[in-house]
Amino acid sequence: MHKSLNRNVRGGSEVNIWVLALILTSLFAATGAFVYLAMRLPSSKSDSGSGNPYDDQAVRDVEHIFNEEFREELRNRGRLHFEKIIGENAMFLQQDLRLTTSQLNEYMKVEITKKLQEEFAKYEESISDAKELAMGSINKTQELIEQQRQMMTQQLTAEVVKEKTRLIKNFEDNMAAIVNHYVLAAIGNQIDLNDQLEYVINELNANKKDIIEDITNGT
Amino acid sequence: MAPREPAVRSEYNGAPDARATHMQLPIGAVTRSDVGSLSKEADAIDNFLAQAAIRQPGSALQLPKTSRLFDELVTINNLNLLRPADRKLLAQFLEVLRTKAPSIHISFNTDPSPLFLQRLVTWMRQQIHPFVLLRIGLHPSIGAGCVVRTNNKYYDFSMRQLFKDQSGLLLSKLRAGNAMVPPESTPTVRETAK
Repeated sequence: MHKSLNRNVRGGSEVNIWVLALILTSLFAATGAFVYLAMRLPSSKSDSGSGNPYDDQAVRDVEHIFNEEFREELRNRGRLHFEKIIGENAMFLQQDLRLTTSQLNEYMKVEITKKLQEEFAKYEESISDAKELAMGSINKTQELIEQQRQMMTQQLTAEVVKEKTRLIKNFEDNMAAIVNHYVLAAIGNQIDLNDQLEYVINELNANKKDIIEDITNGT
Repeated sequence: MAPREPAVRSEYNGAPDARATHMQLPIGAVTRSDVGSLSKEADAIDNFLAQAAIRQPGSALQLPKTSRLFDELVTINNLNLLRPADRKLLAQFLEVLRTKAPSIHISFNTDPSPLFLQRLVTWMRQQIHPFVLLRIGLHPSIGAGCVVRTNNKYYDFSMRQLFKDQSGLLLSKLRAGNAMVPPESTPTVRETAK
């Protein structure tokens, strides 16, 4: 955009330069013509010194007609005319410059607006693309997170079930010891050995045969 | 079932007195160390009487003190310790008992009282072997009951083993209890502690 703007500004400057050059050329041409005329007048006066009396008379008349005052008057008129032309051209130049400036401003405004709109459109498109890309990435990340969450949930559930099964199995395997420990801790001090004599004798009586055989035949 | 002829009895059948086959052990002599103490007391009496036989007239002799258990042993076996044959019989009997008598190891969760031990030994000497000796052990983790160990066998009559044998019943009761109690009404440990 900046390049195109520069190019357009440069194009407008070239037009102004051409107009300015044309005006200056016309001014120089007018100045040249005036100087040429001013230079030709004394030369024609010097050329009048020939031997012909008519010519001399003509020269005198001419000098009489085109005397110093007349020449001064012509110079003044030429100067005024030149100033008038200069003023008019300056006014035209000013008008042209104003017109060119306003056109240039309008052109630059339009071009800048157009470029800005294009850039904004591109910018919006880029933002939209980036937004879509980001949304796609976020969606993919969310899907991955959801998958990992489900996987972790399943693993955690499996681990919990496994741990629960292990704990239950451990408890069931050692339940006798656990209950025994609990009973001991709860009523261990209240268990009297004398009350167990009957139970002990009954158990020994039930295994009496094996005990007798073992202590009789054993080493 | 009648007990077999004890092996100990045949060991001292060669004693000079026919009463050797009818020797008895007092109920108070429970362990092998008790028999060792009795043997030492018998040796002391034997030594005292031997010294008394060769003593010089007028020299002082100190009569060895005997325990109540030793007195009971002498009494129930009708021994006259002034007779060398009886002393020899007693010494031989105690030595055979100390080295050959069957021994049963019994562990309880606490130290048994003497009365408990006497009842147990009485039953064992009537039903198992007349000269059986016990080794009493302490096994606090068994809870209740006892653990009996003979030469080659091991009998667990403890509450721990009873719980282990009945673990199926306990599990079924536990599962039935869990099925009946709703989960939210199960008290927590903290609530139970309160």
